[in-house]
Amino acid sequence: MKSFEYTITDPVGIHARPAGLLVKEIKGFAGSTVTITKGEKTVNALKLMALMQMGIKQGDTVKVEVEGGDEEAVAAAIEAFFKANL
Amino acid sequence: MALDYRKCAEEIYSHLGGKENIISAAHCATRLRLVIADNSKIDTKALEDVEGVKGLFDSNGQLQLIIGTGTVNKVYDEFLAVTGLSAATKADVKAAAASRMPLWKKILKTPGDVFVPILPAIVASGLMMGLVEAIPKFWAAFGESDWYSFLDLVANTAFALLPVLVAVSAARVFGGNIFLGAVIGLMMVHPALINAWTVGNYAAGEIPTWHLFFFNVQQVGYQGHVIPVILAVLLMSTVEKWLHKKVPEMIDLFVTPLCTVLITAFVTFTIIGPTFSILENWVLAGAKWLASSLFGSLVMGAIYPWTVVMGLHHMYNVIEAGMIAQTGLNTWMPIASAANFAQFGACLAVALKVHNQKTKSVALPSALSASLGITEPAIFGINFRFMKPFLCGMAGGAVGALFGALFKLGAPVYGVTGIPAIPAVNNVPLYLVELLIAAGVAFALTWVIWKEDVPKAAPVEEIPEETAEPMPSVVRCAAGEMLQPTKGTVIAREDIPDDTFAMGILGDGVGVVPEEGIVYAPFDGTVTSVFDTKHAVTLEKNGMEVLIHIGVNTVNMNGEGFTAFVEDGQEVKAGQKLIAFDRDAIKAAGYNDTVVMLLTNSDDLEGVECGLK
Repeated sequence: MKSFEYTITDPVGIHARPAGLLVKEIKGFAGSTVTITKGEKTVNALKLMALMQMGIKQGDTVKVEVEGGDEEAVAAAIEAFFKANL
Repeated sequence: MALDYRKCAEEIYSHLGGKENIISAAHCATRLRLVIADNSKIDTKALEDVEGVKGLFDSNGQLQLIIGTGTVNKVYDEFLAVTGLSAATKADVKAAAASRMPLWKKILKTPGDVFVPILPAIVASGLMMGLVEAIPKFWAAFGESDWYSFLDLVANTAFALLPVLVAVSAARVFGGNIFLGAVIGLMMVHPALINAWTVGNYAAGEIPTWHLFFFNVQQVGYQGHVIPVILAVLLMSTVEKWLHKKVPEMIDLFVTPLCTVLITAFVTFTIIGPTFSILENWVLAGAKWLASSLFGSLVMGAIYPWTVVMGLHHMYNVIEAGMIAQTGLNTWMPIASAANFAQFGACLAVALKVHNQKTKSVALPSALSASLGITEPAIFGINFRFMKPFLCGMAGGAVGALFGALFKLGAPVYGVTGIPAIPAVNNVPLYLVELLIAAGVAFALTWVIWKEDVPKAAPVEEIPEETAEPMPSVVRCAAGEMLQPTKGTVIAREDIPDDTFAMGILGDGVGVVPEEGIVYAPFDGTVTSVFDTKHAVTLEKNGMEVLIHIGVNTVNMNGEGFTAFVEDGQEVKAGQKLIAFDRDAIKAAGYNDTVVMLLTNSDDLEGVECGLK
């Protein structure tokens, strides 16, 4: 398993649009299971609704975990996505 | 074939009317966001035809080119290289877009824009300062303790150096370099200058003066000032931006900051500063004259908060000290107390009446701080921002001051108002009555006159619980159907004026161009989540996961103009109202108000069919 932590810098956090883009990005890595954890809550990053319900805001630190597939590359790609968009 | 990013960027650039026409550039996940000086100079048609540009629209003062995820950042990098622009953050682009508003709007908006970001600092300091100064009035020994002097230092830091906070914030608002802004702010409170709070102790001839050309500049700092600082930073930002454009790039890095600081410093100390000194002297003379009569006290009680807004109030120490020297009684204090306590009353009314939690959380501590005589948080954070509470506070101040003058209230001390002044006054019961009158009038008026800016659709009684006529079905699948969520014209998902929705990234569905500001439940189901910003809601039924999103980019409105009638986990019936939204507010904020309803898991569902039957 590969994981990283990221603190959201986008002023509006993970709302509808970024959540959608994130899900789309992760759908591209079919071999891996990606989860996002904020505090006590962990969700499958493919579940758009669950992701939006986390109410992730600017300044929140989330933990992203990648399981299976090419973990190294997938985690790096997702981290790059976070940095570029969130 | 992969897109040639360089070529794409060059082509975009060639249709934008030259570098001068591009104010700033930023990108988000899918779009290149440009602020353009003159939209008539760009060739929209040609831009649409550039390979790699999937579409474009002009929204909110920004020209947005849809390029796509993963590609836009590469085109953006090339675009910066081609144009020689520096990378702008999204916030910069928004600021640049705001600068295209009409002048009068900008002027009204500026003090608020500058003050809102620094509110945490002044609320914390104001409250602490009020408390620290109040304790010794009841418990004299505390005033001698190390704790007092330590806490006093902590509490007054933000106020003693307020111009620095104001300057940094103003530089952000005006688009100047914030570090240069900090330099201007720091310069205005430089320790080598005489502190503006204590300058009253100097005789006119004793104040050291610089002779610069034909200007005689008194070496006095700007502690406690607000307006001169904002003006200085406005000048600085203007000069800086102008120089950036004119100075050749090779020497820009050292010429521009140097000249910016020098020019701003000179103009600040020679023109902006002295203009305000003259204004201050007029205010002082006027205030002295006014305070000497009953009618004058009434007027002074009313206009006092304006002098706080301008940062001139600290000069009153001079009047107060003069009064004590002449008569042993400071009759100015009751006027200031009434004015300050009235702002407390107005702010308290807002705190108790407002529904917006953010406003409430600022208003309560601000009110408390004002009751202790530190009114800046209440005035800048609440009353002046909403204006009506401020005006109600003026009325309360006037009545209170008149009462004080009528009964010749006064105190042999100066520098304190409100509750901390109680032990010092010559007639405690009457002073308490004065405070009650001032705060009571302001509170009552604010309570009656001020109304929170909530959506026009808000009066709950007037909106039927459910829609009068049943809505038609707009999305169907094997698991069930979804009814139209708001009255209006149904449009295809592809026609929603936002690429993320239009491209189906968030799922399949429809858009509705609304005719009224209410969103209804599309089926009998469960509300899974209402966004904090109340501009979107998610619902679930029988495996259908639905997102209803009101408007495009409305997340930026932070809930202003939206009212939610349901909460997370609530069961709803088809046609039950979920959210009211103010279409005028969305329009005023520059956004499109199309209501988007998407089946976010449409990929996993069978037989999804969108549109009216």
